[in-house]
Amino acid sequence: MSKGIKRREFFGRIFAAGLSLAGVLGVGRWMGGAAAGERVPVIRPPGALPETDFLAACIRCSRCIDACPNQCITAFTETSGLEHGLAPGRGQRNTPAIFPRRQACVLCQGAPGDVLLCTAACPTGALVPIAKTVDSILENVKIGIAVVDENICYSFQGGACGVCVRACPFEDKALRAGMWEKPIVDEEFCVGCGLCERACVRYPQAIRVELLEV
Amino acid sequence: MKNKSPSSRAPHKLQIARRTVQILALVVALTIPIVSRYANYISARELDKNLARFEGTAQGRALALLDTTFRAMPDGETERVGRIIRNRDVILARTQGFGGGPWSGQIAGVSMTDPLAAAEAIVAHKRLPWVLVVSLVVPILGTLLLGRVFCSWICPMGFLFDLGDKLRSLAGLLELRPLNIRFPRWTMYALLGAGLGLAFLSAEPVLSYVYPPAMFTREAHGFVFANFDRAEEGSLGLNFGGLTSISIILGGIMLFEAAISRRWWCRYVCPGGALYSLIGAARPVRVRLVEDRCTKCALCVPVCPMGLNPMHNEMGMACDCCGV
Ligand code: SF4
Ligand code: SF4
Ligand code: SF4
Ligand code: SF4
Repeated sequence: MSKGIKRREFFGRIFAAGLSLAGVLGVGRWMGGAAAGERVPVIRPPGALPETDFLAACIRCSRCIDACPNQCITAFTETSGLEHGLAPGRGQRNTPAIFPRRQACVLCQGAPGDVLLCTAACPTGALVPIAKTVDSILENVKIGIAVVDENICYSFQGGACGVCVRACPFEDKALRAGMWEKPIVDEEFCVGCGLCERACVRYPQAIRVELLEV
Repeated sequence: MKNKSPSSRAPHKLQIARRTVQILALVVALTIPIVSRYANYISARELDKNLARFEGTAQGRALALLDTTFRAMPDGETERVGRIIRNRDVILARTQGFGGGPWSGQIAGVSMTDPLAAAEAIVAHKRLPWVLVVSLVVPILGTLLLGRVFCSWICPMGFLFDLGDKLRSLAGLLELRPLNIRFPRWTMYALLGAGLGLAFLSAEPVLSYVYPPAMFTREAHGFVFANFDRAEEGSLGLNFGGLTSISIILGGIMLFEAAISRRWWCRYVCPGGALYSLIGAARPVRVRLVEDRCTKCALCVPVCPMGLNPMHNEMGMACDCCGV
């Protein structure tokens, strides 16, 4: 083989390898949602690390999704977020998310085991295991916080509804009924499970789970 | 592995075993999300209703089959008020033993995670939690002993790409001449390094999004869940609306391999294969040439899907012990 052919072959190989490399990494970034730009605030399962750490640790394996007896965790994609006006941002595609209006976290009530099942299933520590006792749940689960929109809540608009209060697993602690069933959230006890949002008879919901400031 | 019948061209027992395991792995990967939905129906006390509603459709059959299986296990049923009923608690606890897929999964309670998943989570998050170590035990020990067996025995994509290879032979029969461009073998190690570097810098996974077993796991979930969601909404029967760009990419790789470069992904690109190769570099079980029984017929050379040269004992790290 002459020198010229050898050199051409050498550069050809570098080129082929470089092309494979760039292509695969590019597709990877794109699949992760790089093209979508900024990250959007989205509700994570209980025990989730802060968003940045969560996105780094989570391997998008779907095990928490499979574990949830209430199927309230969904893979965050363009399709699943559509109904809720959300699209995954950079690095967020296929990550586990909860859309309480679709299905809220029931804190594994009536399910086997003494640890919240999604946290027990996570292989990477992106969800930190949380024991299923009342004290442990109140202390460790901070999915978000319920916020009432007094402008649309029936109970603040002359009616007396209170459906959300009945749905709260910590009724009278996290969410209690004031005069004429007005829902009052106690930030200290609300775990952000979203059962109130799920139950709200108003559409769009007058009570919603919002993320805590990070 | 000793070859007891070197002259026989009929499928070797090992090949039959390998194909069986491959198909089983594929079925399990598709069954796990169904188990998840089954458990959901039991929790919501809607199983019997849905069994009746979905009867006769693919979803209904799958549910019924799972139900029969779980009920048949010890303590799967109890007797209450003179009636045999499902033992909810026991079945629910058992379904929890299943989750995920070939990327990271749990089968009958044993948690296993792809070393590539772990590597990426570790460099991106800069931490190594115990749960991760525990779920690495089986895959790492297996690879240390046997090398890239995951690739040839379990990886659902290895199976799909094997089929692509068959497509190639078919094209050959039709007198088409598929190209076979060879890429440099170090590409996969470079990609592994570059991908982990990028994950380290951006603190987000990259390879997790393009690694076929991971893509397949997610696609299987999306597909199964979409089918059940639609069935719940009343549109019964199988539908393929849940498939995403992932399927297009995987199909694309398969066609590329069939037409342009034989087993391109597994030979030259796969970062997971690269990691398995490195871990299994010193494995004690390997394909060896039995010198004095070799007739130098060289049949082994074109047969190797990884493009290695068994006749000169050049198997190295990339050999996935498929035993073809
Ligand atoms: S705590 Fe239980 S119900 Fe809530 S998201 Fe996790 S698995 Fe689902
Ligand atoms: S189980 Fe953990 S690693 Fe897997 S998708 Fe859920 S949060 Fe991510
Ligand atoms: S107020 Fe709403 S979100 Fe908070 S604990 Fe009660 S039901 Fe859950
Ligand atoms: S259910 Fe909705 S409308 Fe009714 S009291 Fe609660 S927030 Fe208001």
